[in-house]
Amino acid sequence: MSENDVLVRVLNLKKHFPIVGGLLGRQVGAVKAVDGISFEIGRGETLGMVGESGCGKSTAGRAILQLHKPTSGQVFFQDHELTQIGGEELRQLRPQMQMIFQDPYATLNPRHSVGKIVGEPLVIHRVMKKGSQELKDRVAELLELVGMDPTYVRRFPHEFSGGQRQRIGIARALSLNPSFIVCDEPISALDVSIQAQVVNLMQDLQSQLNVAYLFIAHDLSMVKHISHRIVVMYLGKIMELAERNELFDNPLHPYTQSLNSAVPVPLPKMERRRRRFILKGDPPSPANPPSGCVFHTRCPLSEKKCHTTEPESREMHPGHFVSCHLADDAEGSKIPEQTILASVMG
Amino acid sequence: MPTVLKVRDLVTKFYTLDGVVNAVNGVSFDLEEGETLAIVGESGSGKSVTMMSLLGLIPTPPGVVESGTAFFSGPEGRHDLLQMSAEELRNVRGGQIGFVFQDPISTLNPILTIGEQIAETLTRHQNMTREQARNRATELLAQVGIPDPKLRYKNYPFQFSGGMRQRVVIAIAIACTPQIVIADEPTTALDVTVQAQIVDLFRKLRELLGVAVVWITHDLGVVAGVAERVLVMYGGRPAEIALVDDLYERPQHPYTVGLLGALPRLDLKESERLVSIRGAPPDLLIPLKHCPFAWRCDYAFDRCWEEIPPLLTVGMRHRVACFYDMATHAPRRSANGGGPRDV
Repeated sequence: MSENDVLVRVLNLKKHFPIVGGLLGRQVGAVKAVDGISFEIGRGETLGMVGESGCGKSTAGRAILQLHKPTSGQVFFQDHELTQIGGEELRQLRPQMQMIFQDPYATLNPRHSVGKIVGEPLVIHRVMKKGSQELKDRVAELLELVGMDPTYVRRFPHEFSGGQRQRIGIARALSLNPSFIVCDEPISALDVSIQAQVVNLMQDLQSQLNVAYLFIAHDLSMVKHISHRIVVMYLGKIMELAERNELFDNPLHPYTQSLNSAVPVPLPKMERRRRRFILKGDPPSPANPPSGCVFHTRCPLSEKKCHTTEPESREMHPGHFVSCHLADDAEGSKIPEQTILASVMG
Repeated sequence: MPTVLKVRDLVTKFYTLDGVVNAVNGVSFDLEEGETLAIVGESGSGKSVTMMSLLGLIPTPPGVVESGTAFFSGPEGRHDLLQMSAEELRNVRGGQIGFVFQDPISTLNPILTIGEQIAETLTRHQNMTREQARNRATELLAQVGIPDPKLRYKNYPFQFSGGMRQRVVIAIAIACTPQIVIADEPTTALDVTVQAQIVDLFRKLRELLGVAVVWITHDLGVVAGVAERVLVMYGGRPAEIALVDDLYERPQHPYTVGLLGALPRLDLKESERLVSIRGAPPDLLIPLKHCPFAWRCDYAFDRCWEEIPPLLTVGMRHRVACFYDMATHAPRRSANGGGPRDV
């Protein structure tokens, strides 16, 4: 990505939540929800972020938008360092960075009409005056943009289904013409047939408006479908980052390989034939992450140095980054056939 | 294969303050010994209510099982579950029919050790002594892949992770070697790597015990790997029932076609645009006189708006509730279906 195309740059971002204990409420530890992640998002690009629950993907999204104050690290948006500015200066930038949330039931105020919900950002940021014709036109335009009937402005959220509510949430996020939207599991709460509607809408909007998405989800197949590049997270750290086809055709990190192998494919014949590698155990707690490589406790290939030394992120091919000691040569970090068979038999 | 469960024309309604919710409107299916039948549908399709109705787990009021039969062939002969008394049903549940629910933390009792909870099932249903039950429970823990079963017997649910808790729930479900295990979204609350573990465990147990499984889910990916037959439900009615390969390769109902098209595919290089089904699922408060999918269907014609399509036989063990033939792209000619009702 050339320098000019970068919209968001995240450098060694960390977000630790303190654990307080004892009589005096002293800090006794920290949940390392996000523990040093770095990546870039280009203009008009979709960066997918996948990982299991508790891997810090949602916290990462919020820390980038400064909704959680990062513990350390830097976030650049265009020419501004978000982690340095605050108050009014940050507020001036907010219109350009928006968010779409997971639960379309919790994120819309039940007492506000659709018109008020979608138009409110414009009023708050003093782009348009409350009650003005200009505002009404813009709200109608936005509703039409997300495929809703503009006459719905007087209706309330409870009159809509989950998918329609998510469209309202998207219209609200788009109202200020943002260049970057963090989408935190925007389709997880929706039924399959509705998920496709919302994903198609998001892709159409991207090609029309050239907006960049950070698309956070746990559904690997949907992330692959919508993303240009994908970040795989585990326990607050980035395991692998690559262009989407590269990540699926040539996954270098053992975690990506097992994640890939665990996702069921809606093809019965293929599912029956498939030899999947099944990871043992559950992800450890981010309050007490393992030493060295955080994945070593579940990794089938872990060696001595994985227990002691944390692997650095290395660029193995152009644009393909991996944090694994064994990825030196292409075969080093591949889970061997015997191990895959053993996991199925065992 | 002999049938262990034969359900016919099940109707369940909920009488709520907002009106009558027509949750299940005439569901029929057979479950054969040792087979896995997946019931697939979106929220509100009636897939969970169907199974809960059979076992007397519908909260009454507001729910009422209005009509239907459900013959279960157990070791004590063939009985209609819907005619059984509460006491008789209690003996079936957890004994000859085991359960696995979505959320293992709310299934397990937080103040009993997991060992006690497995042993309780055994003393209740199999008249074991406490000593026998303890030994068998430890065996079961080992069988579902819990390391150090003797030690873990004394642990409480909060000391287990989500995947381990679901293993404990599975141990309880299979404790009395049931004929049927009903698994209601057993992997939905789990992470994908843990989901793969649980799916794998189910496969092994099925081979080992020969138990029939009803797997209720919305995830067509999981279904492809676990099921032999699939029942697709829509608006409280069966839309299509077929062998798993037929359903995925030759789906006959426009809703099934839509659902499969809505899934992104990991195996394809270029992402094609997803096929979305327009509109939203039907409002179950309104009793229908026509096909529940007609509003969202691209192929609906006048007949679809006039009557409810019955399940028609369209192939070997393949039945579909649709007047439109997706193969010839014309209305079906023999619209009364014909053939025996071998659902």
